[in-house]
Amino acid sequence: MSDKKRVSRRQFLNYTLTGVGGFMAAGMLAPMVRFAIDPVLKPSGAGGLVSVASVEELTNEPQRFEWTVDQVDGWYESEVQRTAWVYRNDNDEIVALSPICTHLGCTVDYGSNEEYPDQFYCPCHAGRYTKDGVNVPGTPPTAPLPPIEYEVREGMLYLGEAQSEGGV
Amino acid sequence: MHRGKGMKFVGDSRVPAQQKANLPKDYSEYPGRTEAFWPNFLLKEWLVGSVFLIGFLILTAAHASPLEQQADPTNAAYIPLPDWYFLFLYEFLKYQYAGGDYIVLGAIVMPGLAFGALLLAPFLDPGPERRPHKRPIAVSLMMLGVIATFWLTYESVSEADYETRSEEYGVDIEAVESEVNTDHPGYAAYEANCLSCHGDALQGQGSYPALIDTERSIEEIKDIAVNGVGSMPAGIFNGSDEELQQLAEFIKDPTGEGGSAEGSGSEEGSGESGSEEGSSEESGSTEGESGSEEGSESQE
Amino acid sequence: MLQKIYDWVDERVDITPLWRDIADHEVPEHVNPAHHFSAFVYCFGGLTFFVTVIQILSGMFLTMYYVPDIENAWNSVYYLQREVAYGQIVRGMHHWGASLVIVMLFLHTLRVFFQGAYKKPRELNWVIGVLLFFVMLGLGFTGYLLPWDNKAYFATQVGLEIAAATPIIGDQIRTLLAGDPSIVGAQTLTRFFAIHVFFLPAALFGLMAFHFVLIRKQGISGPL
Repeated sequence: MSDKKRVSRRQFLNYTLTGVGGFMAAGMLAPMVRFAIDPVLKPSGAGGLVSVASVEELTNEPQRFEWTVDQVDGWYESEVQRTAWVYRNDNDEIVALSPICTHLGCTVDYGSNEEYPDQFYCPCHAGRYTKDGVNVPGTPPTAPLPPIEYEVREGMLYLGEAQSEGGV
Repeated sequence: MHRGKGMKFVGDSRVPAQQKANLPKDYSEYPGRTEAFWPNFLLKEWLVGSVFLIGFLILTAAHASPLEQQADPTNAAYIPLPDWYFLFLYEFLKYQYAGGDYIVLGAIVMPGLAFGALLLAPFLDPGPERRPHKRPIAVSLMMLGVIATFWLTYESVSEADYETRSEEYGVDIEAVESEVNTDHPGYAAYEANCLSCHGDALQGQGSYPALIDTERSIEEIKDIAVNGVGSMPAGIFNGSDEELQQLAEFIKDPTGEGGSAEGSGSEEGSGESGSEEGSSEESGSTEGESGSEEGSESQE
Repeated sequence: MLQKIYDWVDERVDITPLWRDIADHEVPEHVNPAHHFSAFVYCFGGLTFFVTVIQILSGMFLTMYYVPDIENAWNSVYYLQREVAYGQIVRGMHHWGASLVIVMLFLHTLRVFFQGAYKKPRELNWVIGVLLFFVMLGLGFTGYLLPWDNKAYFATQVGLEIAAATPIIGDQIRTLLAGDPSIVGAQTLTRFFAIHVFFLPAALFGLMAFHFVLIRKQGISGPL
């Protein structure tokens, strides 16, 4: 052990002091920080599927469906309305799309613009999506409309949460 | 200190360019062994602080901070009691010449004098002497104040029944959210006879105790339903013996299936949870009712 | 690296004297419990400060969940205590800390009084200390209304009645505190919240800073 590496008494005390201070800060803050970040760590309540419509109602033309879900927000419980555009594509598969524009969150409408009768149109910034939800290049949105989780049970269509594609 | 002409500064600031060594100040005012504040003394202080913190955290973990039922201005049965550090004033105002017509004396003048004297102590006791026995008047007045405060607090605490209060008014935070099985065969009897007082989730209300997790046997429950207990009058239940048996089984196990296996009864619980969340309290005090008769059992 | 950053800042702002002034002073023997165990009485002031720090921190974190509204206050407290991880502990720290800070303040006050440490030249610091004591009691009084449980409601009502006993301006004081001449309700809660979270802590910080500057300036009182 060379002299240079020896720890002086003052240095030793400084290290101990830092350690004790760190212990106190950690003891105080650990529960509080865990308390604060709790919403991040809580498993997101996978919203149940809600029966929205009969499968027979679905056509090749996107239709707008509305339903409500019970939302528990901490101590506040409320009913929230959800909407979706649902249709059968050419392969007879059901497609359910969220109406929330991936640009800035306006609500898109289907065929509301006369120039593009078979596209989803966002009135806010003229964003457009083709019928399968893919954003038209050159319009503001940068990502397709997120699909909505669905299930068909006993002839009824059940809809759930929009599946975020991640990294929009 | 080098000042004035010839002084050099950093840029155009007022910070001197040449720094002097920051020599530690000496503490020659009081002779004896001194110690550097940093790190020597502070380390000792913080060690004390750490021990204190550990004790404090154990206290918070061991004793949940109490929460009573949500404020209900119409609750006429509630006996208010302030936190312990205001009890001395609360108790003081009970005295004849401190409360009632003399409220100004008790609530304003006396505390005002006491606290005013405390505030102005250095000017009321201006002599140079510091030792307590050299300034008997100030010290004895302070002693009087401290003893009076302790005495009043003690009097107030000894009158208040904290155990009963926490049973009757408190909310058990750790209570399991109970989902009452309304398909239980005994529920109908409960609804008809007990629900109006003991609540739709057996949670109790006001002075009516909760029935959740009761420690009584089925026979005891049957007896109470018919003959009453404590302030609960006899003859509340009127129905057949079979219903009585079902009722007792239901109270014993409100979430269970009961005798008959009717469908899954878990659905309606979630529908009720809105009201239950705020009210499934007091489950710790299932035996609160017995306080008058059999002595309360420990709840924790 | 750290040294370089420090030097860079120090060259421009001259921060060394700031921390040197705090760190580099000698502590006399008579306040050091390592020399005389009876000197532990000098710890009460520091512990009061420590609990105050705990109170400030836990209070800051509690407001992440708490709402000062009569319909939601109780529910939010119930929620944070029941559903949120460590909510029990954080609220517990604030709740028990409130009691402990009063205990520590009381012991500190008694120490200073019986040692006559408030004598010249430290009169002013005593006055500030007693004001701090009042502020703490005010924080205790406004704080226990906030959960909006029965205890909060009825104890506050009693407290307001006592305030209303003040001659001449009693009713005005009551209205000022409660926000309404007769109701203890929504407006009372928001007022008490504002007082508890902004007004009194502001006073507390100012007085505490003054308290500490004076201690540093005047030094600890000598041994008896």
